[in-house]
Amino acid sequence: MSTAQQTLPAARAATKAAARRTRRRRGIWDILGWIYLVLLLIFTVVPMLWMLSTSLKSEWAALQQPPQWLPSNPTLRHYERLLSPYSEVGPTFLRYLFNSFWVSSATTVLGVMIAIPAAYAFSRFRFPGREALFFSVLLRNMFPAVVFLMPLFIMMRWLHLVNTHGSLILTYLTFGLPLSIWLLKGFYDNIPPELEMAARIDGASRFQAFWRVVMPLSAPGIIATAIYSFILAWNEYVYALTFLNNEERLTLPVGLQRFFTEYASNWPGLMAAAFIMSVPVVALFLILQKYFVRALTEGAVKT
Amino acid sequence: MALTTTRARPVVGARPARRRESVLARIVRHWADYLYIAPALIVMLLVIGYPIYYTVYLSFFATPPSLSMDEKIWVGLDNYRRILRSESFRDVTWNTFIWTIFSTFFAFVLGFAAALVVHREFIGRGIVRGLLLIPYVISAVAASYIWRWLYHSDSGLISGVLMDLGLIDRPINFLDDIDRVMPSLIVANVWKEFPFAMIMLLAGLQTVPEQLHRAAMVDGAGTWHRFIHVTIPHLKGVIIITTLLLLVTNLNSFTIVWIMTGGGPAGASEIWITEVYQLAFGRLRFGLASAYSVILFIVMMTLGYFYVKALTRGDRRRRPA
Amino acid sequence: MTSQNDRRILSQQLTRRQVLGLGAAAGLAAAGVAPTNALAQSDKTGVDPEQWNPETIRQMAGTLEVNTAEEVAEVVPLDYKGKVSYWYVGPNEASSEIEKQVDAEFWAAFKETYPNIEVNVQNLDYNQMLDKLRTAALGKAAPVVARMPILWGVEFAAKGQLSEISLDEFNFSEEEFWPGALKSVTWEGKRYGVPTNNETMGFIWNRAIFAEAGLDPESPPATWADVVEYSKIIKEKTGKAGYGLVARVNAGNTPFRFMPVLWAYGGGALDEAEPNPTYDKIYIDNEGSQAALQTHYDMYVRDKSVPVGALTNTQTENRDPFVAGQLAMMISHPSEYAAIIDAANKATGEDKVIADQVVESMAYGLIPEGPTRRAVVFGGSNIHIFNPDLVEGDFDRDAARALIAFMCGPEWSTKLAWVSSNPGNIRGFRTTWMKERLETIRFLDVTTSMLPYGIPFPVIPESPEIMNIIVPEMMQNALTESMSVEEACQTAREQIEELLTGL
Repeated sequence: MSTAQQTLPAARAATKAAARRTRRRRGIWDILGWIYLVLLLIFTVVPMLWMLSTSLKSEWAALQQPPQWLPSNPTLRHYERLLSPYSEVGPTFLRYLFNSFWVSSATTVLGVMIAIPAAYAFSRFRFPGREALFFSVLLRNMFPAVVFLMPLFIMMRWLHLVNTHGSLILTYLTFGLPLSIWLLKGFYDNIPPELEMAARIDGASRFQAFWRVVMPLSAPGIIATAIYSFILAWNEYVYALTFLNNEERLTLPVGLQRFFTEYASNWPGLMAAAFIMSVPVVALFLILQKYFVRALTEGAVKT
Repeated sequence: MALTTTRARPVVGARPARRRESVLARIVRHWADYLYIAPALIVMLLVIGYPIYYTVYLSFFATPPSLSMDEKIWVGLDNYRRILRSESFRDVTWNTFIWTIFSTFFAFVLGFAAALVVHREFIGRGIVRGLLLIPYVISAVAASYIWRWLYHSDSGLISGVLMDLGLIDRPINFLDDIDRVMPSLIVANVWKEFPFAMIMLLAGLQTVPEQLHRAAMVDGAGTWHRFIHVTIPHLKGVIIITTLLLLVTNLNSFTIVWIMTGGGPAGASEIWITEVYQLAFGRLRFGLASAYSVILFIVMMTLGYFYVKALTRGDRRRRPA
Repeated sequence: MTSQNDRRILSQQLTRRQVLGLGAAAGLAAAGVAPTNALAQSDKTGVDPEQWNPETIRQMAGTLEVNTAEEVAEVVPLDYKGKVSYWYVGPNEASSEIEKQVDAEFWAAFKETYPNIEVNVQNLDYNQMLDKLRTAALGKAAPVVARMPILWGVEFAAKGQLSEISLDEFNFSEEEFWPGALKSVTWEGKRYGVPTNNETMGFIWNRAIFAEAGLDPESPPATWADVVEYSKIIKEKTGKAGYGLVARVNAGNTPFRFMPVLWAYGGGALDEAEPNPTYDKIYIDNEGSQAALQTHYDMYVRDKSVPVGALTNTQTENRDPFVAGQLAMMISHPSEYAAIIDAANKATGEDKVIADQVVESMAYGLIPEGPTRRAVVFGGSNIHIFNPDLVEGDFDRDAARALIAFMCGPEWSTKLAWVSSNPGNIRGFRTTWMKERLETIRFLDVTTSMLPYGIPFPVIPESPEIMNIIVPEMMQNALTESMSVEEACQTAREQIEELLTGL
């Protein structure tokens, strides 16, 4: 509307009319937008609230029909049991939690360390087979985990990695890599090589130039890839189920299943475990989400 | 130094001079470049290369449950023939199709609409955006249990609320009914996936230059008109990538279906992936499961071709430095 | 409130522990006075399976004094130094407190008896264990010893993945075990395991609901046709679910609850219910099988008298409504009694009142019979030693033998089966522990007296697939009405045929 800079009164009037029309139409869209947003929020939030509410009930209250929206006798018992090192299941659950942290962190750090040079090379260098290799790296996402279970198990056994966290870290690395490389490559593509060159003319080595110039500019991309890898590793279930036998080494998603076995249906306990399991990744993601959006905006989505 | 500059320079200018060089010579000259991608490639080769080889190899054998794997029987292409001819393959393929298409469609539409709404400035936008993103981050295992619990026929929330409202007089079985199971699973899946579409498209929307919108507005274009003629064309790339990623993810998704229904009831929610798992681990037909997987690979590769083309598209049009 | 509950459970545990201790002491005292068993008996076990009823079971309990350490010392010296890895389906989140406690006591006792044998124990979930064992055996990462549900062993044996064993090497004799159990550890004439426990289920009903529906609270349905009728009446009169039907695929407890009906009507998967099964005839689509499936169709589709979630629910999900007084009857595992009591103890306020009422009005009876017979699944577990080639790390057969001899002797086969089943070792029935069990756990005599009606699943490697997949799928096909009862049975027949003849 501020762009109306015509001097003729007629023209000004026409613009005003157009703007009014637009505003009116905007109004309808705005209202529709709000309605949609409210409905979507209900759809998104109710399942999570239900998880939280159930986790605060006793096993009995949870089974009541009609269901109680809010527990009439809220109890933190399930959380206490899971998180107290003195309870019967607590130490095991804390162990799972720790294992998940360790596996996910190791995957993240290694993943970023591998993705950075690869993305940089795909962006800067023109070596033969570059496109084919880039293509094949990206193809990882095409393969369903389930299909590879058996051959990978046999391979892990051959590498003496069965029942170790190494088997999971190695496998998880490949989940995050394609998107990481792709995202980071987008960033490097957008950083003019001249910047690096300028640094090198000033006497910096190739690595120094990379470290001082390219790294800071691609920080959002690195943070985004790190979150992405962490979340993928944190949530993975099928491989963890197959590769690990030792109870002391299990990760959370598999541990979660212990609460819902053939003979168990402790829904509140299960929901409490699901909640605890979600907290770290949700928190991490919410704190760092702006980097994620920025990374996608600047790195990948930009064409 | 000189080497670096030539490397860093865009391909366009340098190419004609290098044409005549043999591939081998180029590889040798560029040997140092490969060091950068070596770790990534080694990991990928190990975790993908070997399993692919093994899966293809095994797909030519029969592995009856009464024999050990060392006694497997060579059957050539028999496994493929059996799968493609079987009636269940048709059903499972149909289910997979429904599952993938509807999940993708709804996740995309919901996500796109959400991105448009959340893209606008308003108070509390950060919080709303954060809330909407949570399902994407929650693990599939947790999400499956949450939804199974919501759908629970005898003490689930949804049945309970509907009964409370007097809309039904008997609990509804969402996951036990052959007609309701697929839609129910798709809803749970869309819940988990729409945030991904939202965040991708939100990132895309932020790259649409404000001037384009203003210019269109001066021309008297309404919101809808601007959406169709300005926003959509600008987002074409992101839309393609998001859709493809969603398609691939859904085609590959296992956990939600497996934990919620295991493919039941009466196979009404059996999709390719759960069928492969069931064949391999439930029925111990590793040969048959491998053949199934190979068929799956082929479909995936076709999709993958488009996916990678979409991903690398920007790469070729890279602006000169 | 919470801590009060915990304390209650705790105090219960304490008394249980005291009782166990006392029981042992009382056993010592009783040994001298106990009347000698009048049954016709074998020399070693003193038990005659022919004469098996609650009466004789009570009579023989407490007539035998066992010193486990002495017995096992003859198998492997007590100072033996070694290592063994062991996988089993142990107590989990939902197990009763007693079960968890007995498990812990077992490991403590083993440590005391064999202080130098190191056991690497993996407690796995039932539904995960089969997949994991299969993968592990394929990847040559199997444990040395595994205790598996009765249904699984033969598959591993047929593939040559288990070590052959003889009962002699544990100082056991054939008559110490049920013939059906021994059959389940035998493949092509060779023995591949030792039975650890045998379980049979009973029928459980809520008398209060029966009364409410105008049925005689003291008499359970005598036949499966009665079950259908009662279920319908209960639904109509009270609005509560009648029979606790389960038909989930790939869940162990579906065949355990459906096969008894098939057999009762003269059906079956193969001819496993016949006196001398050959496992080469398919019964799944005979008239009996169809009639049996029809009963479930009638309850689920026609009368809608069973829990709505029958096709996805596991048995535990039926247990909850049962405890809440919303479900009138079901086939029940003996351990469910303990679990139900636990659940009742955990309830508070109004729930507690309801739960206590349910416990009060709970009754156990024999599983109903059909036109052909009364039947129950002869279940339980066996313990196996894997093939040395498939084991990761050391293969110490002596350590494995020590563990198996210790576990399958009369003492621990009784104690480990405390709430859930019957000792695999028949001598266990004569021990003082058995006597104590019978005194402290209600209904045990009922489930135990179902043993003679027990029919083992077919002892063929394809059994898990038939029982866990084909049979439940047949039920689902009929119950979802995607096929008629007849079609569902025929489809199942085709699947079994293909399974047995094809590759």
